[in-house]
Amino acid sequence: MIREGEYTIETTGLTKKYGNFPAVNNMNLKVRKGEIYGLLGPNGAGKTTLIKMLCSILTPSSGNARVIGVKIPDSNIAAQIGYMPQETGVYLGLTVKQNLNFYGRIFNLEKTEMEKRENELLQFVDLLPWKDEMAENLSGGMKHRLSLACTLIHQPQLLFLDEPTVGVDPELRVSFWNYFNQLRENGVTILMTTHYMDEARHCDRIGFMQRGNLIAENTPLKLLKKSGTDSLEDAFLMFSQHDENHQKEVIS
Amino acid sequence: MAVSRRVFRDVANDKRSLAMLFLAPIFAMCVFGVAFSGDVEGVNVIIVNQDQGFTLPAGNTTFLSEKIVSNIDTKVLNIQNMDNADEARQKVADGQASAVIIFPENFTQNAIIKTQNSSYPDSGQIIIQGDDSITNVRNAILKTVNQALSDTMAAEGVNPALKVTSEPIYGQDAEFIDFFVPGILAFVVYLLTTILTLITFVGERANGTLERVLATPVTEGEVVTGYAITFGTLGIIQVALLLAIAILVFNIVVVGNVLLAFLAVAILAVTCQALGILLSSLAKRPEQAIQFFPFVILPAFLLSGVFWPLQAIPDWLRPLSYLVPPTYAVEACRAVMLKGWGLEKIWPDLVALVLFAVLFLGLAVWSLKRGKNEF
Repeated sequence: MIREGEYTIETTGLTKKYGNFPAVNNMNLKVRKGEIYGLLGPNGAGKTTLIKMLCSILTPSSGNARVIGVKIPDSNIAAQIGYMPQETGVYLGLTVKQNLNFYGRIFNLEKTEMEKRENELLQFVDLLPWKDEMAENLSGGMKHRLSLACTLIHQPQLLFLDEPTVGVDPELRVSFWNYFNQLRENGVTILMTTHYMDEARHCDRIGFMQRGNLIAENTPLKLLKKSGTDSLEDAFLMFSQHDENHQKEVIS
Repeated sequence: MAVSRRVFRDVANDKRSLAMLFLAPIFAMCVFGVAFSGDVEGVNVIIVNQDQGFTLPAGNTTFLSEKIVSNIDTKVLNIQNMDNADEARQKVADGQASAVIIFPENFTQNAIIKTQNSSYPDSGQIIIQGDDSITNVRNAILKTVNQALSDTMAAEGVNPALKVTSEPIYGQDAEFIDFFVPGILAFVVYLLTTILTLITFVGERANGTLERVLATPVTEGEVVTGYAITFGTLGIIQVALLLAIAILVFNIVVVGNVLLAFLAVAILAVTCQALGILLSSLAKRPEQAIQFFPFVILPAFLLSGVFWPLQAIPDWLRPLSYLVPPTYAVEACRAVMLKGWGLEKIWPDLVALVLFAVLFLGLAVWSLKRGKNEF
């Protein structure tokens, strides 16, 4: 459990190396309870690696991290977190409902509770008419929605969402964000990665990642102000340019 | 041309693909060539020679039996001598030898008198009592003894009317199908389980479901156990189905307790699914998983005694047979179904299977845990 004044996620010098290549380099990240934190950065910046370490499915090379007050890796917090992988993350050979059922069973949901959650979530991700459809017959976006529903089935208090809105149409994306905001109001913490700069605005805070490093973090507004640009895209480019120059200075 | 170039590059970029493309066929051919010589060798037989010989009018005593024994091809038959026929038969019943070859007391006497006087009622008789459940082995024994017999007759210049009687200890009226069915049961389960788990698990890795499940309270051990229970059950169902067809359609004879055969196959299935999980950690894509097929199929196909008995595998290659898990399941199924052996006799096979299962399950869990540091 998190004590007063503690962060839901707190990493110090968290590092993951593949051989000599640091995928995540000396990461210091703090995420408060009830915060939506967005990780932005190009492919290969280390966002996914970071999330996997925080979910205890990847062992850090060095550094420390506490998640919900527990030093990771530790599988005991698994019941309190929800992880949505970038990949499909659903069983293609099961129906929509069977998928939800499987993840519900893993978390020992009672039958009545399970049915209630299933219906709520299917409605939320707009898959109710397809509940008996095999997952392999769903479109990419629908699989993604199912995957999100599976992540939420056990009402975790901390969510790790790796690109939750890829392939989701704009209308549904709005309803996703409404739901995320609702979760936040209930004290749920969300750490997500995204490629959509426009949707990153909705996050409470944003961290720009580049080559395993956190190169800037702040509220979207402050990042815009600091960079003197009017879009997060430009802001990111500015910070990343700045970081490149800084790196070069360090090397020379 | 662009397409061909692309495909060439695809293959060339994947070093393992390249290796498989050229090494697998060489491997396959060598193993085939060596293991499938088809000649049965090193069959253990016991000779009980009670022959009293025959004293010729000239005064010297001759023993045809000894001459025949000395003409037996010892490459095919490993000869052990015993005095007591009952003890010898017991050894065959216990599976320590494939047959007893008995020369009765009056063997030489009858043989020689019969040559001289064709109206003499008794002829020389070699009695072969063996485990006829393995047809290839039975045929090899009969052929070798007959060969020794005719060589002896030619050398002696006599033509005694000798008779080889074969009264089986096991496998009365056994045909090749009887020998074949227990083997094919184990083989099918081995093959399907390993390959199915391999493919399913590569899918789990690629779809992100494995990671997702490991991010829940489910442990690596539970994942492996879950798969083991499923495939153990499926293995039993497969065997039940195959067995029903074998009995109803092919009229094979099942002497022993079928449940024991189920048990052996279920343990094998558990071993195989663990093997599948283990192999899946070496493959990133389904195509790569398919490349393992020759290495999964061939050793079992050739070495486990499914299609020809272990005795037909060269001596120096036979130790490898004992490193292939299906060997034990084939052996156990055959012993149960053809010889009616019970737990008290097939336990070594079951123990071997359980050890393999434990080893592979452990390795499968280990490979999943190791993944945490890698991918």
